[in-house]
Amino acid sequence: MLNNGSLTRYAPSVIGWIVLVSLPEWINVVAYTDLGSRVVILGLAAMALNFLLGHTGVLSFGHAAYFGLGAYGAGLTLRYLAPSTGLAILVGTGVGMMAAMLIGPLIIRLRGVYFAMVTIAFGQIFYFIAFRWSTLTGGDDGLTNWSRQPINLGFATIDLKSPVAFYYLVLFVFAVATAIMAKLLNSPFGRSLLAIRENERRALFLGIPVNLRIWLSWTVSCGFASVAGAMYALLNNFVDPRTLHWSQSGAFVIMAVLGGMRSFWGPLIGAAIYVVLQDYLSSRTSNWMSLVGLVFVLVVLFFPRGVLGMLGRRTQA
Amino acid sequence: MTQLILFNLFNGLIVGAFYALMALGLSLIMNLTGVINFAHGGFLAIGGYLAYTLIPYLGFWGALAVAPVMTAFLGLVVERFLIRRVYGHDPLYSLLLTFGLAFIIEDGTRYIWGAQAVPYEVPSSLTTPLSSEYFFLTGYRLFMVALAAISVSGLFALLKWTRLGMRIRAGTLDLETVSVLGVNTAILRNLNFGLGIYLAGLAGVLAAGQLGVEPTIGSSLIMPSFVSIIVGGLGSLPGTLFGGLLIGVASALTSVFYPSATEAVMYVIMAAVLLVRPRGLFGQEGRF
Amino acid sequence: MTRLKVENLTKRFGNLVAVADISMVVEPGEIRAVIGPNGAGKTTFFNMISGFLTPTTGRILFENRDISQVAPSQRVKLGMARTFQITEVFPELSVRENLQIAVEAALGYGLSVRMSEDAAEEVHAEVSELLGLSGLTDKADRFVGELSHGDQRTTEIMMALALKPRLLLLDEPTAGMGDQETFDIAKLIRKLHRQQGLSIVLIEHDMRIVFNLADRIMVLAEGRMLAEGTPKEIAANEAVQKAYLGTAG
Repeated sequence: MLNNGSLTRYAPSVIGWIVLVSLPEWINVVAYTDLGSRVVILGLAAMALNFLLGHTGVLSFGHAAYFGLGAYGAGLTLRYLAPSTGLAILVGTGVGMMAAMLIGPLIIRLRGVYFAMVTIAFGQIFYFIAFRWSTLTGGDDGLTNWSRQPINLGFATIDLKSPVAFYYLVLFVFAVATAIMAKLLNSPFGRSLLAIRENERRALFLGIPVNLRIWLSWTVSCGFASVAGAMYALLNNFVDPRTLHWSQSGAFVIMAVLGGMRSFWGPLIGAAIYVVLQDYLSSRTSNWMSLVGLVFVLVVLFFPRGVLGMLGRRTQA
Repeated sequence: MTQLILFNLFNGLIVGAFYALMALGLSLIMNLTGVINFAHGGFLAIGGYLAYTLIPYLGFWGALAVAPVMTAFLGLVVERFLIRRVYGHDPLYSLLLTFGLAFIIEDGTRYIWGAQAVPYEVPSSLTTPLSSEYFFLTGYRLFMVALAAISVSGLFALLKWTRLGMRIRAGTLDLETVSVLGVNTAILRNLNFGLGIYLAGLAGVLAAGQLGVEPTIGSSLIMPSFVSIIVGGLGSLPGTLFGGLLIGVASALTSVFYPSATEAVMYVIMAAVLLVRPRGLFGQEGRF
Repeated sequence: MTRLKVENLTKRFGNLVAVADISMVVEPGEIRAVIGPNGAGKTTFFNMISGFLTPTTGRILFENRDISQVAPSQRVKLGMARTFQITEVFPELSVRENLQIAVEAALGYGLSVRMSEDAAEEVHAEVSELLGLSGLTDKADRFVGELSHGDQRTTEIMMALALKPRLLLLDEPTAGMGDQETFDIAKLIRKLHRQQGLSIVLIEHDMRIVFNLADRIMVLAEGRMLAEGTPKEIAANEAVQKAYLGTAG
């Protein structure tokens, strides 16, 4: 009984990790390794968004801003500061998280559609900065003339030129980030976020300082989105303002919904479906944008609970 | 210098009037149904393109009259078959639905009318400057401001004095009670959505004359409309109007003194407003 | 020390006076019922005590401390807890998780990411005790949203109790319940009161509950206090019978 229970509980995670770790071995049959990296990176961004959306119940439609700040932070570090991939990731994460922390107090009193609108609008500030400050960012043409550098661990140097080597760096960062998120959610702090999602009024009358918790959750969520953004910049060796655009925020939300907002891993599945579909459609037709739009409409009308939501009411982290 | 400032002030008013027309439609829909219509910019583009297509047949004035009505009709259909299905659900779903629609409309207009901006003929009687000193006071610009002013007054009059308007206002406060009183709320929300889209279509026709139309015109105008609503205060139509004019004028004046902050200034205003009045300048406590 | 003292409390909404000049004293261990016809101002009065609304004039003292301007979450820390007219629970979480969140909040672990084994043990023990007290142990792992109305209400009361309040505010604890559920809730309230030595203020429509549980009753009508006294005195009060019991009966 106990064995059976823990088997069904852990089996999906084990299978999931096997698939992720072995990905470079089989993906070339159907696609290419960088597509795998893209799925994992955007999956991390969607999971980061879902920390706020699915586990705190707060709807942000502006996460691309922090994803993009992470990307620019990493790109600018490598372009102007130092040839260090590790530093680039740290700076990217720091910049995004700091911006979120500072904007937080302006928005945490708002709820629902109002919160969503204000987060979208604030996100656009960074879009215009990246767009206009072209001497620094390269403007609309994007930030170029830099590339990810080998990581020097002291006793060994990891060359990241090959897509496979970079994929494993992505997977390592993903594993650390998701482990921290899972740990946070399975703690009293995480449960107090669930309480806010479930019933804000009750949470308030249990003495939980709701606005303060939303600020923390927002900062953590945006922080992990910027980790993903930094990795995204490293993947492409390039950043452009579209990374910060609100349509990218919408993509993160649809990934989370498509996979299942109530589950921990759902957004990763949503990201996989979305990224693969977009990659396929954009190689087949120039009207892929309508088809992606159609995906949004169909998900809302027929899949509101997402893939994992359809399978079971709740999947544990 | 004075002339330059006057020129930009006037330009700002025009731009602000656009923002306000679009934002008022968005506000109207949001207040009654809680739906943020991301596709609003798409409907604006459709209004512009329809007018462009109709001009050879109906002339400028005919297109101006007919295109917004056709756009509104399309809005009624979209509401009837799509938007209606997400009422009463988490606002997340209406956002995603209209977000997808915005993609489809932008791509669809590109497919039908091409990716390049299309030229748009304004009668020459409207384009000649009225004064040699104030060259920017062309008839078309004055005409746009006047038409925007008439439309906005018309909207407020409709809301204040007609039966439909009164029902919309009542429904905005408490839709359940209105439905108990025997008003068909499905039709009410449908017509209200159409009214909002009519304003978007009208703004589209006016914008086409000023800027030309291209597929991305909608997505470039939607953010300023959002900011207008946030600055003015959610739930308040006069607030939205004021917000639109304010950020229009502010962006135009900024473009004189510090051009690279032209777009950013509205977000700075928004941040300042949120800091002092989280509900916006004219927003009320407790709604949304 | 007086548990709760309300002095000349008034609340205006624009021109409407919802609560006018009400004073009340609740002693430790007392059960106080507040009754009155719809629109009498009971809920407004209640919301001011719990901190949901701030009074226009007047003072609220909790154990001699003026709390009129104190935020709801701070009042919880001082020792007050409340339930709502419409049950407020965490529907998509289990009964156990609902209580666990309440216990963790009460013990001040809300910000911790890592808990010592002792602390986890302490939380677990308290949750088990609350489950036992409420009789919900069998249903501990079901989603609260799937339970009956009565069980949801019980969960809510136990969550309030997890905060170890000295004053419990219950807003219509038996609203919308059948006879059996009403009886069970009344039994639970009596049991909790006896075991914990709580002061309880409750708004209630069901007169059987009120006269069965309350030590003292306050009657409100149109925002004003109509009468106050023991159940016996209230039952005999002519003004009350005329204004309230007469029409209700």
